[in-house]
Amino acid sequence: MRLLAVIKRDLLKFRRNPVIMFLSLVLPIVYLIILGNSFQGKLKGLPVAVVDLDGGPAARDLARRLRAIESGPGTFELIFMKDQEAAIRGIREGALKGAVIIPPDFTRRSLARRRAEAGLFLDNTDAISASTIRETMRRAFEAIEIEYYPVREERARKYLRDIDLYRRIDYGQSLVPGVVIMAIFLGTLTTGAFNLVMDRFLGIEESYLLTPLTKGDIVTGLIASGVIITTITTLMVFILSILITGIPLWGGVPQFMLLLFIILLTTLGLLSMMFLLLGRVSHPRIVGLLTGFLNVIFFFPSGAVYPIESFPRWLKAFAKVNPEAYAVHAFKSVLFKNAGVGAVWGDMAFLLAFTGIMMTAGILAFKRTL
Amino acid sequence: MDNAAIEVRELVKKFGEITAVNGVSFEVREGEFFGFLGPNGAGKTTLIRMLNTLLKPTSGKAAVAGFDVVKEPDEVRRAIGVVPQAMTSDLDLTAYENMDIYGRFYSIPARERKERIARLLEIVGLAERGNDLVATYSGGMRRRLEIVKALVHRPQILFLDEPTQGLDPQSRRTVWELLKGFEEEEKLTIFLSTHYMEEAEELCGRVGIIDYGKIIAMDSPEKLKGELPERDTVLLELPDPAEEMVRALKEFDFVLDVKRENDTLTLSVKNGAHVTPLILSRILEFGKTVTSVNIKERSLEDVFIYYTGRSIREEEARKVSRFIGAGVPSKLVQR
Repeated sequence: MRLLAVIKRDLLKFRRNPVIMFLSLVLPIVYLIILGNSFQGKLKGLPVAVVDLDGGPAARDLARRLRAIESGPGTFELIFMKDQEAAIRGIREGALKGAVIIPPDFTRRSLARRRAEAGLFLDNTDAISASTIRETMRRAFEAIEIEYYPVREERARKYLRDIDLYRRIDYGQSLVPGVVIMAIFLGTLTTGAFNLVMDRFLGIEESYLLTPLTKGDIVTGLIASGVIITTITTLMVFILSILITGIPLWGGVPQFMLLLFIILLTTLGLLSMMFLLLGRVSHPRIVGLLTGFLNVIFFFPSGAVYPIESFPRWLKAFAKVNPEAYAVHAFKSVLFKNAGVGAVWGDMAFLLAFTGIMMTAGILAFKRTL
Repeated sequence: MDNAAIEVRELVKKFGEITAVNGVSFEVREGEFFGFLGPNGAGKTTLIRMLNTLLKPTSGKAAVAGFDVVKEPDEVRRAIGVVPQAMTSDLDLTAYENMDIYGRFYSIPARERKERIARLLEIVGLAERGNDLVATYSGGMRRRLEIVKALVHRPQILFLDEPTQGLDPQSRRTVWELLKGFEEEEKLTIFLSTHYMEEAEELCGRVGIIDYGKIIAMDSPEKLKGELPERDTVLLELPDPAEEMVRALKEFDFVLDVKRENDTLTLSVKNGAHVTPLILSRILEFGKTVTSVNIKERSLEDVFIYYTGRSIREEEARKVSRFIGAGVPSKLVQR
């Protein structure tokens, strides 16, 4: 009864705060839309100058291909200039991201099968833009080269045909596991141990420390109410994400139940961890300070935004003990590949062990006195 | 003592260099209304928190309802009800929900809990507002709720830490009446801490006066006042008191001292209530008319001044700043 009373108290308080309920639903989606688009969006409309000092057919062909990129993928916004000095000055002043200078002998050298070079000037202080321009230009130049190869050599070329094992996931859909994990993270940060911090800050904690509630009652009660609240809000966020992005749950009820179990297990693990981290904190400002830090160290190395394989070795090592990495892997596997328990049992085993360790440590570390 | 509800022996609590409670010993008998009087920062809250199992003593022993506060904290918690100095009810819940959840913490069966809550809310005049959120309550209503919340589980001993702090005089008197009623009806032992002299005098059968973590006097308010040298203060206001009249008043055996300040005479006398008519007659003989008479009888404030040489009010701000300045966590120092 005591444990249920702790849960009831927490749920009643949550129910009386519709603003928190609303924010719990909306924030994860907004957060991930902004974050995801900031990191993964393709670069478009990079201002690049083209200075054609040659005017010959090869130079015109190159310009034509660049225009095709401009009107196709739209990576560039081309500005045709006559003065190479002005173009370079434009880069230095930040008006341009790059400039292609086609020298006067470009066509002549091309026709003579001699090495024809055009200069690519880049604002290399903006590494991402510079890298995109460099790569796109390289492909445009390769395309020119191909036309000068004899047709018979085409047979010698090696082709790679890619075959998708699973249905194609568009960009919006690929963000859904991240949205779900973010909803869990925010939920676990604003329930469970956080309520204890608030009670302590408001002086309310004293009243229930004076009752026969045990450490276990307080910790597990707050974790249980946190699990209920976070799971429900995360589930609503997930359903909303499905409706917005149109991800089909082709595995039906079993797939949905497995996803629900992953949400539940992740929530339990993170809530237990929060109790260990925040169990003795007495001011909500400390939680505020920790929020950003915890979000960065757990969410970004989770693989939700960028593949873990791209991380340096030390960050990969951290990802091995990051519960969110296991949660993201399990969720992606089940959601996108309709994987069964067999494929994600390792993730689940880790999350279970993590929960057990964190909850035990959280209860032991919790102070039953002032 | 067989019927000791609270038994304290050489209890000490230190916060680093500061000794908040310094070797306190006392007993409170079952059914007694006992009060601890002292300025803020004297150690009252620290002492109560040790007896309530919220703080572990540095040394010494204390038993509440026969249970050791360190070795048997669960048993102590079941036996006591506590009204902390801070308001601890959840503002987002109704009064009924607050009490119901508190009752569940003590595993009180549903029907008993419901009846008990209804009865207690009725007694403190909150029955009609029982389903309103506590956030909508006034300070006095919240304080009444705090008291009945602590009584849901029928404790043997009720601790109240500065229960009328911050309340207006009317609400304070309401709380006093409620406490007197509960003492009678629930057969409670009540342990109250306060820095209001009149509160201790009005409610407590026995009072311990605490200063700098030590008990400096303990007895019934009447006996404590009776131990003071027999001296009352009589304040008289009259226009232009003549010097020869002041000299004449000093000739009375029962007049110990006379001070004159503008139109006010302050007389230290033995047995003020009885001798004042004689003083007034003598003044009339000088053709003067007294416009105001005020006899200040001995109070617990005088007891505190007698033992410490300072008044309680003067001590308050200084002690709180001393504790916090010395590194004692501010949440442990009640203001």
